[in-house]
Amino acid sequence: MDFTFTEDQLAFREAISRFLMTEAPPELLRDIWDTEEGRSPELRAKISEQGLTALSVPEAQGGLGMGDITWALLTQELGYYAIPDSLADTAFVATGLLSALPEGTRMREELLSRIAEGSVRIAVGHSVNPLVADVHLADVVLQEHQGEVHALCRDNIGFERNPSIDSSRRLSRISFEPSDATRLVGSEQGRAVWAQTLNRGALAVAGQSLGLAQRMLDLSVDYVTQRKQFGKPIGSFQAVKHKLADVASKIEFAKPVLYHAAHALAHGDAQANLNVSHAKLACCEAAWLAARNGIQVHGAMGYTWEVDLQMFMKRAWALDSAWGDRAFHNSRVAETLLADTAQIGPSFTFGALQND
Amino acid sequence: MKLTFTVEDEAFRAEIAQWLRTNLTGEFAALKFRGGPGDEHMFTAERQRWEKRLAAGGWTGIGWPLKHGGRGCSIEQQVIFHEEYARAGAPGRVGHIGEGLVGPTLIAFADPEQQAKYLPAILAGTDLWCQGYSEPGAGSDLANVKTRARRENADNTWRINGQKVWTSLAHESDWCFVLARTDSESVGHKGLGFFLVSMHQPGVTVRPIEQLTGTSEFNEVFFDDAVAADLIGEPGDGWKIAMALLGFERGVSTLGQQMQFQNELDEIVRIAKSNGAARDPLLRQRIAEAHIGLRLMRYNAMRMLSHTSTESGPEALVYKLHWSSWHRNLGALAMDVLGPEAEILESGPYNLTRLQSLFLFTRSDTIYGGTSQIQRNIIAERGLGMPKEAKGNLR
Ligand SMILES: Cc1cc2nc3c(=O)[nH]c(=O)nc-3n(C[C@H](O)[C@H](O)[C@H](O)COP(=O)(O)OP(=O)(O)OC[C@H]3O[C@@H](n4cnc5c(N)ncnc54)[C@H](O)[C@@H]3O)c2cc1C
Repeated sequence: MDFTFTEDQLAFREAISRFLMTEAPPELLRDIWDTEEGRSPELRAKISEQGLTALSVPEAQGGLGMGDITWALLTQELGYYAIPDSLADTAFVATGLLSALPEGTRMREELLSRIAEGSVRIAVGHSVNPLVADVHLADVVLQEHQGEVHALCRDNIGFERNPSIDSSRRLSRISFEPSDATRLVGSEQGRAVWAQTLNRGALAVAGQSLGLAQRMLDLSVDYVTQRKQFGKPIGSFQAVKHKLADVASKIEFAKPVLYHAAHALAHGDAQANLNVSHAKLACCEAAWLAARNGIQVHGAMGYTWEVDLQMFMKRAWALDSAWGDRAFHNSRVAETLLADTAQIGPSFTFGALQND
Repeated sequence: MKLTFTVEDEAFRAEIAQWLRTNLTGEFAALKFRGGPGDEHMFTAERQRWEKRLAAGGWTGIGWPLKHGGRGCSIEQQVIFHEEYARAGAPGRVGHIGEGLVGPTLIAFADPEQQAKYLPAILAGTDLWCQGYSEPGAGSDLANVKTRARRENADNTWRINGQKVWTSLAHESDWCFVLARTDSESVGHKGLGFFLVSMHQPGVTVRPIEQLTGTSEFNEVFFDDAVAADLIGEPGDGWKIAMALLGFERGVSTLGQQMQFQNELDEIVRIAKSNGAARDPLLRQRIAEAHIGLRLMRYNAMRMLSHTSTESGPEALVYKLHWSSWHRNLGALAMDVLGPEAEILESGPYNLTRLQSLFLFTRSDTIYGGTSQIQRNIIAERGLGMPKEAKGNLR
């Protein structure tokens, strides 16, 4: 059992973090979100230059061949800097989906190469999400339909935009006519791919939520150190300290859960569903608490549009029910544990980790 | 102990219910269930007309004494009024600060001349009020207000200089009650005065602050040599009066608030039943807990109101903490019951659905009117007599 990352993985994270800190500050994001499309092609191009879109594309298609485990770090950075979710949808979720299709599947290699070079935007539509993110700009929508995988181009779909409580999210309800021409694989192969994609989507959200939690915590620690009441920094009051210490605990406890789930997904573990649902729940809970306690320690300031905290809170609230809401993931955990065939007992609960 | 209503009370109930049925119609029908928490900035002009309609029907200041133009209703009748008001879905009161806070304060502390000057317009629903307490440096530490009041020697008028912040509905208000320092050398609770200031004068500037809801219900208010129309009590009485006013905040009007809470919970239950969320075991339990929490709130409030003396008991100290935490959780429950649909707006660019407004607004319940941390400090220090946390340097 080893929860450490390789030096390459850590260096990559560090580079992306530094890049996003300078290239995607909150002021810039706010400007972008005020635009009709809500996205900046320039920022997206710069991110591709950093290699982020190529990260998990197989080397045969010009990618770096890294995978779910590295993404467990990078999704946290995307959350920390509130990068719009379409990037994770294309570079992580769609890439994983396409890679899982049998080699030679129509469009597979072409799309993967284009993802690696950063020249394509892919949206992913799954029935667990009533709406699809970033359809308005997508070149291709990979859409689930009765277990089949369909690749829809702009001509094949109709969509109606639906604004979100998080202004950065650009969601649409789509309508489409599935046909032989749009089908990449049938349901026999498709079901397994979609099951894995659902897990990957949930994991992308989990990682981002954890990054959001960390950002809200950092913003709050800064604020309570500056703000004075009763002649002291409010961070010196235990009631305030404890609120933020609780958030820190939740974050630290959620991290290994996220990493374990990424590992399970990458290795096709039989317990992947359980691990991913656990990760989604733990990370979203950390983000929830970070939002709740973050706004509380900001006082009325946290309730304003102007203070950046709201951007991160709203993202966390919106992502909370993306790729399966709490009820969905809780019941997946319960179903696994309560199934007639379920293995129970310490060797199951604790042994699985050791076998990795 | 007496937990039932009399025959006279029930007649009163029939009277107000009937009045609402006939009056909450026509142009006012559209106001049903509007203007509550999170929706306070909506339909303000229409709701002000509604306030005047209420006044014409004799339904403002019903708990005020007869000699001040009120209706002198018993606690039971006030409870009934609020129940029926909420049941009918009558709109959030634009005049609640005047009726619920300013009126009782002036009745307790102002001289007869001042009472005659302000109370009738509050009852008539013509003058709206806002609360000028918080400042950039004085939130939880309200006694740190820096706004100054200076007496002009020539004509004895007080002039106000300084800045208030988070002032709810200042942009709609005719008057502001302002806590300001009459003694510029003083610190803390001493040397403060309680002033009534007209918002319609050159020395007052109101600047809206955008909230995370995308709307602006609160404001910054700048006083630049603004004239105070009246000082209530004496210079130095400000803190005592300001605190007494906050005490009225826990009065009967909280019962009306509970009825709104009930309406909100009912709506959530309705949605949970129709979208299947009610089958989820965790959500079912939270709905049950919400119901229990609301009953607790109601019993506690009734007990609080049954105190005949003005001395409030321990139940008053715990009230704000309970309702604000409960309501905050209700907002989260609403989102969870909606599931993945929760984030979808009513329409662009940023029009929230009613439940989204509820959710976002309830993020502030545990902040305004004394944060939850301050409430717990009050329970511990005032209620339990525990030692105070050391203060820093106040200068
Ligand atoms: C929606 C809304 C409407 C409002 N309307 C009005 C209005 O109409 N008029 C008006 O005057 N004001 C109004 N306010 C202001 C409100 O009263 C203040 O926000 C509140 O008193 C808290 O002050 P603050 O925001 O400065 O937070 P701060 O006092 O800076 O508090 C920040 C954090 O520090 C904590 N803290 C501070 N001191 C202590 C302590 N001693 N021990 C432990 N923890 C502590 C607080 O609990 C909080 O978590 C409104 C606020 C909101 C959000």
